[in-house]
Amino acid sequence: MSDEIKSSLPTPPADPQPGAVQSNLPIWIVVLTLILVFIGGLYFDQHGGWFKAQVYGPYASADQLELYQPKSGAAAALAHGKVVYEQVCGLCHGVDGLGKPGQAPPLAGSEWVTSAGFNRLAHIPLVGVNGGIKVQGKDWNMAMAAMGAALPDADLASVLTYIRSSWGNKASEVTGDDIHRIRGTLGTHPAPMSGDQMSAMPE
Amino acid sequence: MTANETIHPTATATEIDASCKLPLLALLVGASVWLVIGSVMAMIAAIKFHAPDFLGACPLLTYGRVAAAANDALVYGFCLPASLAVIIWVFARLSQTVYALPLVPVVAAHIWHLGVFVGIVSILLGNSTGFAWLEFPRGGSILILVAFVLIAIPTAATFGFRRDRTLYPSHWFLLAALLWFPWSYASANIFLVAMPVRGVAQGVIDIWFGNNLLFVWFSLVGLGVAFYFLPKLTGRPLYSYFYAQYVFWTLVLFGTWCGIPAGSPFPAWIPALSNLAGWLLIVPVLGVLVMTVKTLGGAPVTTSSAETLPYFKVGLVAFIVSGIALHLVAHNEQLARITEFTWFGQAQVQLQIFGFLGMILFGALYYILPRALGFDFLFPKFTRAHFWFNLLGSVGLVIPLAIAGYAQGSHAYNLDAALPALRFSSMGLLLILVGNLFFAVNLLAMFLSWKITLVKSIFSAVTSPLTAVEVKS
Amino acid sequence: MKTGLPVIFAVVLGLGGSTVGFVLAPAVQLGSVKQTTVLNSTDLYPPQRIGDATLGLQVYRANGCAACHTQQVRQEGVACDVGLTGPGKNPQALSNLLSTLTLTHLTKEAADTVADQLTAAGGKVETHIVPAGADLDRGWGVRHSVAEDYLYDYPVQLGNLRAGPDLANIGVRSPDANWHLLHLYAPTSAVSNSKMPSFKYLFHLQKAGSTPSPEALNVPSSFAAPAGYEVVPSPEARQLVAYLLSLRANQPVYDAPFTPPAKP
Repeated sequence: MSDEIKSSLPTPPADPQPGAVQSNLPIWIVVLTLILVFIGGLYFDQHGGWFKAQVYGPYASADQLELYQPKSGAAAALAHGKVVYEQVCGLCHGVDGLGKPGQAPPLAGSEWVTSAGFNRLAHIPLVGVNGGIKVQGKDWNMAMAAMGAALPDADLASVLTYIRSSWGNKASEVTGDDIHRIRGTLGTHPAPMSGDQMSAMPE
Repeated sequence: MTANETIHPTATATEIDASCKLPLLALLVGASVWLVIGSVMAMIAAIKFHAPDFLGACPLLTYGRVAAAANDALVYGFCLPASLAVIIWVFARLSQTVYALPLVPVVAAHIWHLGVFVGIVSILLGNSTGFAWLEFPRGGSILILVAFVLIAIPTAATFGFRRDRTLYPSHWFLLAALLWFPWSYASANIFLVAMPVRGVAQGVIDIWFGNNLLFVWFSLVGLGVAFYFLPKLTGRPLYSYFYAQYVFWTLVLFGTWCGIPAGSPFPAWIPALSNLAGWLLIVPVLGVLVMTVKTLGGAPVTTSSAETLPYFKVGLVAFIVSGIALHLVAHNEQLARITEFTWFGQAQVQLQIFGFLGMILFGALYYILPRALGFDFLFPKFTRAHFWFNLLGSVGLVIPLAIAGYAQGSHAYNLDAALPALRFSSMGLLLILVGNLFFAVNLLAMFLSWKITLVKSIFSAVTSPLTAVEVKS
Repeated sequence: MKTGLPVIFAVVLGLGGSTVGFVLAPAVQLGSVKQTTVLNSTDLYPPQRIGDATLGLQVYRANGCAACHTQQVRQEGVACDVGLTGPGKNPQALSNLLSTLTLTHLTKEAADTVADQLTAAGGKVETHIVPAGADLDRGWGVRHSVAEDYLYDYPVQLGNLRAGPDLANIGVRSPDANWHLLHLYAPTSAVSNSKMPSFKYLFHLQKAGSTPSPEALNVPSSFAAPAGYEVVPSPEARQLVAYLLSLRANQPVYDAPFTPPAKP
C-alpha cells in the first residue's frame, strides 16, 4: 500500500507525549468561585422557596404564596360549606338534601331551614334534637346528636349558609359571628332538646 | 519487568496507531455516513420554514419527526462514535501501549450503528419516546448503551495498562466522559421509559439529561481532546496542570446542574438551583480562556503537524462563547425571558455540535486517521476546504439562529419576525453540509482504498505460486 | 495524581449529586403530586383524561408536535385588584374615598390596606388576585403552569420552542373541534399567515355520495378536494383534536392562585 500512496508524515517516534506546566493555582479564580457561591446562596435564599413543592415562580416563599390565596367572601364560604356538609351531614340528609326515609328529614324546601331567622335552625346542630318534629307536614320521630357542636363557628356558619341557599332554598346568609353569639347563649354542655321544645323555639 | 509489562509492553507510536485502526474505522465509517444523513435531514427540516409543505405528503418527513431525527443522527450517529474513536486513540497513545482487545470495539461499533439505525427509523415511523434527546425507543437505546459500555471497558483497560502512571489532564476529562454517558443515559431512560415517573418530573429529568449530554459530556470530550492536542501541535506544554484540574472540577460540580430555565413549570427551587449553577459556570469558562490564551500565546513554535491547530482554536473559542451564553441566560432574567422557547436555544445546540465538539473532533481525526491507517488522505485539498466550510457554516448557522431567536422572543414569538434570519441560517447549514460531505468522501475513500489493498493482498497471497510463498517464508 | 480514583470520585460527586437533585428528588416530590381541588370550589383538578384524548397524546408525540409548540405558561408577577361589591350605607363618603385611592395593580399588603379603608367607610369589597406576564397578556393562559397540569400526561410534552403558539390551554382558547380539523388539514385556511405544515396525511379523500357524509370536513372552496370527493378525518386526526381540546389549564389551584372572573 505504501508504494501506492506516498506518506508525507514525520516518523512516528518523533511524536512527543503532551506535557503540562506545574504552575501554582492562581488564587483569583478560587476567590471568584467563593464570591459567586456566596451571591448564589443569597439568590437561592430569596428565590428558591426552600424546596417546597407548592412554591413556583413568581412566588418566592410559602408565606408569600399563602398571602396571595384569593379569599373571596360568599363564594368561598359556600364552597367550603358544601365540603363540610358532605362530610358531616350528607350521610343522613343526603348530598342532594332530600333526606333519607327512616334516617333524616329532607332539608330541601324544609320550613325549618328556609325560615327567615336562623336561631332555631342553628340550635339543631348545636344541641341536638330528641323526639318527633313535623317537616313539610310529615312526622319524623328520631334523634339527632349535636353534630355541629364540635365544628368551628365559621364552618358551621358556612354549612348553614350552604343548606339555606342550595337545592332551591333561598334564605339569608349565616355568619361566623352569628353562630358565636348563639353558642354564647348555651351552656358548656347543653342537653338535647325534645322535638316539642325545638318547635317552640323562636325562629 | 512486571507481568503487566510483559503483556502490554511499551509500544512505538506506529504500533499503537496500528492497534487502533480497526476500531477507528468501524466507528468512523458509520459516523461519517450518519453525519451526512443528519446534515441532510437538518437541511430538509430547515427548508420547511421556507416552504411549509415541502415533502409534506410524507408522514415520515413531517417537521416534528425529521427535526428530531436530524438532531439524533448528528449527536448519536456522529458526535458520540467519533468521540469514542478519538478517545480510543488518545488513551492508547497516552498509555504508550497498544489498544487492549481492539476487536471488542469493532463489534460494539456495529451494535452502536445498528442501535442508531433502529432509533432513527423508529423516530421517522412515529415511534419516538417523545423526550428531547432521548427519542430512541427501547430497541435503539439499549443497543447504544450496551455498545458504549463495550467500548468503554477495553478503553479503560488500556488506561489501566498505561506505562507512565501519572495522569495527564486529558485523562480526567475523557475518563469522566466514559463514565458520564452510561450513567446519565441509563438513569434518564430508567426514569422516563422503563419505569416512568408520573407527571412533570419527566420534564425535569429530560432537561437534566439534555444539558448533561450537550453541555457537560460534549465539554468533557472536547476539552479533554483539545488539551491533548494543544501541546502536541504548538510544541509548548499545556498551561497549566492546576487550571485544568480546576476547570475539570468546576465543570463537573456546577455544569451538571445547569439548563433549567426560570419560569419552567417546576417548583421554584429547581430553576433557582439551576440558575445558581449557571452563574458558577463562568468559572470553568474563564479557566479555559486563560488556558487557551496562555498555551497558544507567545512565540510561535513550528511543528511538523500544526495544520490541524486552527480546528482546536475555533473549537475552544466556540466553547467559551457557548459557556458565556449559558452563563448570561442564567444570570440575566430579562435575556432569559426573551430567549427562552426561541431559536436561541437551537443556536446554542448547533454551536455545541458543529462549532465546538465537531470542530475539535474533525481536527483530531485529520491528525489521527493518516497515522492510524498509515497513508495520507486521498483528497488533501478537501481537508483544508472542510475547515473553512465548517467555520463559515457554523458562524452562518449559529449567529443568524441567535438573532432569529432574539427577534422571535422580542416580538411575542411571531414567526414572521424571525423568518429572515432563520432563512439566512439555512445558508450556514448548507455550507456545513458541503463541508461534511468533504469529510465523508475523504474518509470513505480512505476506507475503500484500505479495503481494496487488503483484498488485493489476500488475493495475491492466495493466488501466488506456491514456490514463491516457500521462498518468502 | 497517579490513579483514576479521584476522577471516579468527581463523577460520583458531580453526576451523583445532580442525579439526586434533579432526577431522584423531582421524581419523589413531583411524582407524588395528586389531584387537587380547584380553589374555592369542590371540583377536582385536573379531570382524568379519557378515551380519544388519551390516544391523541400519542398522535401528538408521534408527529413531534412538541418541536414547535410548548405546553408551559410563564407568569412573571402577581398583582391585587380591589373590587367594590356593595355601596354600603353612605355612598357619598365611599365615592369621596374612592377618588383618592388606587384600586388596581397593588401588592397584597397595599390591597389589604385599601380594603380595610373601604370596609371602614361601609363598603363591601373583594380582593382579586391577578397574575401578570407576557404569556398571559397574549391570552396563552390565565396563570403559570404547575405540576398538576401534567398529572395524566405520558410522555409530558413541555416543548422548548415556540414556532407556533403555546398549547397549554388551547382547549379553552379554541374549543371548536371542526376548526382544529380544518387547521390541521389546511393550516392557512384557518390562520392566514400560518407556517405550520399541513397534516393532510391524517385525512383521506373518499367519493362523495349524493349528500355529504356526516363525518366529512367542511373545507373552504379554495382548499377543497377534487370534485366528487370529500375530505374525511382519520381516527388519528380526531384523537389529536380530542387531545388538544382536553388541554385546559385554566383553573385556580393552591400552587397557582388567582381570582376567576365572576360567572354571569
